[in-house]
Amino acid sequence: MICEWTDHQVFGVKDGAILFGVDQGTLFHIDEETRSTLARWNGSPTLNLDEVPIADREILEGLRDARFLAPAGARHRLEPSRDFDIASIPLTTMVLEVAQDCNLNCTYCYADGGSYGKAARLLDPATARQAARKLIDDSADRDAATLVIFGGEPLMNMPAVEAAVAEARSYAAEKGKQVFISLTTNGTLLTADVVDFIHANRIAVAISLDGPADLHDSNRPNLKGAGSYSRITANLSRLLPGATAPVAARVTLTPDQWSRVEEVFFHLMDLGFHEVGIAPVSPVRRELLPDAKQEDDLLQGFAVLAKAFLKAAKTNRLLPFTNLIDLLARLHLGQTKSVSCGAGYGYLAVDSSGSIYVCHRLVGEAEFRVGNLDDGAAPGEIRRALDSVTCGRQEACSSCWARTLCSGGCHYENHLRENQLGLPPGGSCDFIRRWLQLGIEVYAELRRDGSDEILARMGKRLKC
Amino acid sequence: MDKKKRIEALNEKARAIEALSSGEQKSVDALQSADPLNMPVGCSTVFDTGWETNPRPTNPVGMCQPSAHDFLGCAGDCWWPAQNPDGMTNNADLELMCSSISRDWRDVK
Repeated sequence: MICEWTDHQVFGVKDGAILFGVDQGTLFHIDEETRSTLARWNGSPTLNLDEVPIADREILEGLRDARFLAPAGARHRLEPSRDFDIASIPLTTMVLEVAQDCNLNCTYCYADGGSYGKAARLLDPATARQAARKLIDDSADRDAATLVIFGGEPLMNMPAVEAAVAEARSYAAEKGKQVFISLTTNGTLLTADVVDFIHANRIAVAISLDGPADLHDSNRPNLKGAGSYSRITANLSRLLPGATAPVAARVTLTPDQWSRVEEVFFHLMDLGFHEVGIAPVSPVRRELLPDAKQEDDLLQGFAVLAKAFLKAAKTNRLLPFTNLIDLLARLHLGQTKSVSCGAGYGYLAVDSSGSIYVCHRLVGEAEFRVGNLDDGAAPGEIRRALDSVTCGRQEACSSCWARTLCSGGCHYENHLRENQLGLPPGGSCDFIRRWLQLGIEVYAELRRDGSDEILARMGKRLKC
Repeated sequence: MDKKKRIEALNEKARAIEALSSGEQKSVDALQSADPLNMPVGCSTVFDTGWETNPRPTNPVGMCQPSAHDFLGCAGDCWWPAQNPDGMTNNADLELMCSSISRDWRDVK
C-alpha cells in the first residue's frame, strides 16, 4: 500500500516520545526505536510499505494501524466545518449581566469598571425573569441548562439575582429540566443573607481573588483605592462552611505577577477554596502585554503546579488546579474541536438592557451584539460576528499541530490584540502551544504512572 | 517484536483506534486466507452452482463471481446466504480511505 503521513507531532520524553495525532486527537507513547524509524521516514512524502526494509516495515505498520500513515490520497485530514446550522444548536449556557456596575476598581478590568463602556445600570427583575425563561426555552431538547449570574458585580443587584434564580428554577421544573446556576462575584458583598441565599439555591460561586493580600490589593482596589482582600476573606469564612456547591477562586494575574503563580495557588488552597483557576490578564492596554521572559515565568509556574498535580495523583488525589484539569480531561477523551469555544454556539451573554452578545467578554462591543431577548439571537448575526474574528486565521491554523485542540483561541483576546491594539495575528500562539505541550506531557506521565482512576474522574467531569 | 510494546495507546481516542485496528483484522475471516484453507466442506457439493472455488491451496481461489451467486447450497449454518467471496473485496482499507461514506465516496477506487 502506498501511504502518506497524517499530521502528527512528536514530543520527546525520557524513554521515547509521545506521538500526537492531530486530526484524531490521539496520544500514543512510542519507544526509542519507533521514534528513530519515524524520524528516518518522516521526510518521505509517500512510502510503499511493501518496499521498505523488513526491519522498518513492522514498525511502520504499527504506525499505520495507529493512523499515522494513511493510504495516499485519502482524505484523512478533517477540515473544520463551520457550515452547521446555528439555529439548530440548543442554548446550553446563558451569562446574565445583572449589574453593569461595580464597587471595585480593578486595574485590569476589561469591562470598564463593570459598565462595559456604557453608563452603569442594573438589570430589572422582569427582564431577569424573561432571560431565565429564554434560557430554558432555547435549551430545546437538552435536559439541562446553565445560568451564569455575572456583572460587573452581580451582588449589587440582588433583586434581579433573586428573580433570575427563582424563575430559572421554577420554569425549569415546569419543563422537566435541570438548571445549574453559578455566580461570579468579587466577594465583597457576601452578607449573611446573601450567603444563605447561595447555599439554599446550590449556587456554584467563583470569587475573584488574585492571591495574597499585597498582590490582590494592588490589582483589585475599591473605588477609594483601598484594598479588598481582608473584606473578601472575612466573607469567605461565611461562605465556605455549609457550601452546597463548589466555591472556586478565579485569579487574574498581570505579567509582572506571573512569577508568583505557585505562591498564589497554594495561598488560595490554604484559604479553603475547592478549586483554583488562574488566568493571565487580557491585554486591555498595551502595557499588559507580556514579554518573552514573563511568558516563561507563567509557564514555569504552571509547570511547578503540574508537578504538584502529578505528585497528588500518585496518592489518588486530584489537585484542583482547574486550568490543568480541564485540559487533561479533554486530552484524556481525545476531544478535538473545529471552533475555539461555544460563543454563539450554545453560549450567549445577555446584558442589563436585554441585548444578546456572543460572549460575556464581548458585551458592549457593537459588532458582537447579535440580538435581544424579545427577538432572540439571529443566526446570521452570530455568523457575521464570529467571522469577523476568525476569518483569516484558518490559514495559519491549518499548518499548526495544535489546531484541533485550540482552534484559534479566545475571540476576545484576538479581538483585543488584533482589532484594538493592531497587533498581527498569532501573538499568543506560541504560549498556547507550550501550554498544550505541558498538558500532553503531564497526561502521558499520569497514564504511565497508572493514575487511571484520576483520569476517568476527569473524563467524566467533561462528559457531563 | 510485539508492536504493542513499541506503540502504546495513551488516551481514550488512541485506545479506540487501537481496538479498531485489531478488531478490523478479526471481524472478517476470508475463506481463502487461512492455511489450510477455510473452505466449508460438508453441506454442499462441488456440483452445486456457486461452489466454483478451487479447494487446493493454490491459485485461482475464490472464483465465485457475483454473477454466479445462488442459493442452492444455502442450508445449515456453514454456508453464506449469498456467496460473496472475500477475495473479491478490493477495498481492504475502505475504513481508512473513507471514514465517512457520504463525504468520501469519491475516494473509493
